[in-house]
Amino acid sequence: MKLGIVVQRYGADINGGAELHARYIAEHLAPYAEVRVLTTCAREYLTWRNEFPPGADSVNGIPVERFPVEHERSEADFGLRSDHVFSRRHSLNDELAWLESEGPASPALIDRLQKSGHEFDHVLLFCARYYHAYHGARAVPDRAILVPTAERDAALGLAMFGPIFRGVRAIMYNSPEEQALIHAAAANPHVPGVVVGIGSEIPGSVDPGRTAAAFGLAGPYVIYVGRIDANKGCAELFDFFIRYADARPAAPTLVLVGKPVLAIPDHPRIRHLGFLDDRDKFDAMAGAAALVMPSYYESLSMVALEAWAVGTPVIANARCDVLLGQCLRSNAGLYYANAAEFGAVLDMVLDDRALAAGLGRNGRRFYEQHYSWPVIERKYLDMFASLSSNPPAHRMEKLPGWLARRQSSLRPAAQVLDELPSGPVVGVLA
Amino acid sequence: MDHNQGRRGHFHRGGRRGPDRRGPERRQVPGPGPAPDQASRGERNDRVDVEQIMREIRARIAQRSGVDLSNQQIHELAARRLEAILDPRGLKPELLDQLRRAAGERTVPVDAAPSAAQSYPFDEATLYDSPNGFLRFLRKLFNPLLRLLFNPTPVAHALAQQSRLNTELLQREADRDRRQAEWNALHYEILQRLALEVSRVSVDSQSLSMRVESLGTKVDFNERRVRTMEGTQARPSRPQESPQAAPQAAAPPSVPTSEAAPQPSAEGQPAGEPSRRRRRRRRGRRGPGAGVPAEAGVNAPAAAASVVDLDEGDGEGDEGFEEEAAAEPAAVPGGPEGPPLRSEPVALDHQLPAATEHREEPAAAPEPIRTEEPPHTPEE
Repeated sequence: MKLGIVVQRYGADINGGAELHARYIAEHLAPYAEVRVLTTCAREYLTWRNEFPPGADSVNGIPVERFPVEHERSEADFGLRSDHVFSRRHSLNDELAWLESEGPASPALIDRLQKSGHEFDHVLLFCARYYHAYHGARAVPDRAILVPTAERDAALGLAMFGPIFRGVRAIMYNSPEEQALIHAAAANPHVPGVVVGIGSEIPGSVDPGRTAAAFGLAGPYVIYVGRIDANKGCAELFDFFIRYADARPAAPTLVLVGKPVLAIPDHPRIRHLGFLDDRDKFDAMAGAAALVMPSYYESLSMVALEAWAVGTPVIANARCDVLLGQCLRSNAGLYYANAAEFGAVLDMVLDDRALAAGLGRNGRRFYEQHYSWPVIERKYLDMFASLSSNPPAHRMEKLPGWLARRQSSLRPAAQVLDELPSGPVVGVLA
Repeated sequence: MDHNQGRRGHFHRGGRRGPDRRGPERRQVPGPGPAPDQASRGERNDRVDVEQIMREIRARIAQRSGVDLSNQQIHELAARRLEAILDPRGLKPELLDQLRRAAGERTVPVDAAPSAAQSYPFDEATLYDSPNGFLRFLRKLFNPLLRLLFNPTPVAHALAQQSRLNTELLQREADRDRRQAEWNALHYEILQRLALEVSRVSVDSQSLSMRVESLGTKVDFNERRVRTMEGTQARPSRPQESPQAAPQAAAPPSVPTSEAAPQPSAEGQPAGEPSRRRRRRRRGRRGPGAGVPAEAGVNAPAAAASVVDLDEGDGEGDEGFEEEAAAEPAAVPGGPEGPPLRSEPVALDHQLPAATEHREEPAAAPEPIRTEEPPHTPEE
């Protein structure tokens, strides 16, 4: 079986969520299939500047083909186009121009798929909202398996993605919430789909005391791992935590791990450790009283799964459907919607050790049952087998004609998104 | 085809996003059955029910703050306040509706370009134009004759100029209207947000003031509790007025070791002396509304009952109690003549002045203090 994986960036040092997801999948499916990655020469997602040389490459033994990006992303142009399609009536051409502006526009990559995409039995396309996934799905619709990694953002309300969600062979969802959202947005329940998610490279053993000693973390601490960004809910987290810490003399420390985009408040109870390697990260996570996930939008929180894998409870933002759903389904995390709840939840996790241990055990079980690699691999392989044994039951819709693409008849994407149902999905297996 | 086997329907709800967006079906109220508390939670460990815990937490927060308004409720409150600000008697109802509509829309729909009727294009040929082709031909034919009689060019030029001016003016006016509408929408939006924030802040301040009040009550309660405990331990009981006291004092061997009477101090000071010192200290901390009446020293149950009364009100009784206690140092519990002083907690449940005042911290409920009777000996 030959498997093509198409992703916007690819590299051992690229740690974006979807990119890491793609790399893990490529490496874990390599024993079962001949895997080849098709990607761009970009390293940075804000500009898509060509930094890797085009041509053949290899990452951790996986063959990679890199294609140049035609033009870098202009923030101003992308911002204007985003504002137009998200908040005004617009045409399909406007959406296509938005996609071109968002990038990474790599016609060479799409040409490669169009001309020789048939060499692959299946083509996994990561990140539905990007150029390569949209045009890649149109290039090889009968082989395309989409891994949307979609969050609840306005791009999901764009009309151009509907035919893609309805036309690919199958969709590998990250969470039941994502599946429900895409079903509602694109009316595609006929497309084969399975909630898979992603595992992680969990070390065989962790030493919680080691990192604590190395970084001088005395006393209990809660940890945040990820980009320290207002978009990830960190500003709210700082606000809630400072209010909490100022009201309690024996408050825990908030340990931050990751690259800061947002200014970190100067507070005696907030420690920034910077970017840690995996060993330190997992040790630090294992030693924490809880992992805090303040993000509002996630398609799947890998960090939360990693915390659960090492038996650490999670405190999640209740406004994120996916996180809330994960907490409810796993019974391994508490959640907050305001400062009072944040404080109360933190108090409970810190004070009730039996509860924290129970949450941690549930988390570990949840991870092993649904997100361990054998489970993930099996779901992918089952899907490949199912698609190989059944002919395509549906076709990709064609692009509308020249005039239809220019009619400003499409509603603002933000308005479309607002009308989609929200909330956690309960009563499912994962 | 869905590969998720064993899946049940989910609970997606449309409408607003927020903490309550799961809808009332998912926001269950704790049932009448016994709510699992933290103590039992330790036992069930893996059977942790996150939803139940969150319900408990939210119930506790609601109980503590007294004000637990959802975002939706705050928005409704803000809308009511805004209605009060935008008094319809001072504003045109149409204007108000227009403002509301404009604030709800991202762009303000104002006709930016003047209509064709408002701007009439005019040039030299317009004078001779006609929808009728024959007439147009005749006019063109006789145009040289007309030009012989007078010069129509300045007239056409003036009219064309006027037409252009009209168009520009209309365009400018439309722009002004659009800007004004945008400003109006912006002002309304700001006003709306201000009202929302004011509502939120007022709810917060109400919540905080309740919290301050609650904390004040708690401090007051603790203060009174300390005084009560000190008063109880220091209070003498007269053997002649306490029929059970004498047999107790006469049978010291039956008292458990841990409850043995305190030994005299190294200086040979009687055991009642420290309690006198404690009373002196207490005098300095005495505040209004606390104290024990003079009658409190008569017998223990009466003292306990009177503490309740005095905790509610005046503080002058404390001094009376101290005076009487000072006059009877020999009757101090634990002293040679008094009943042995108990080191174990003494029940004071019936003395709690206001149980509801202390709901905020159930774990910190006062230790039970027993004052009714001295310990019973096996002979009894």
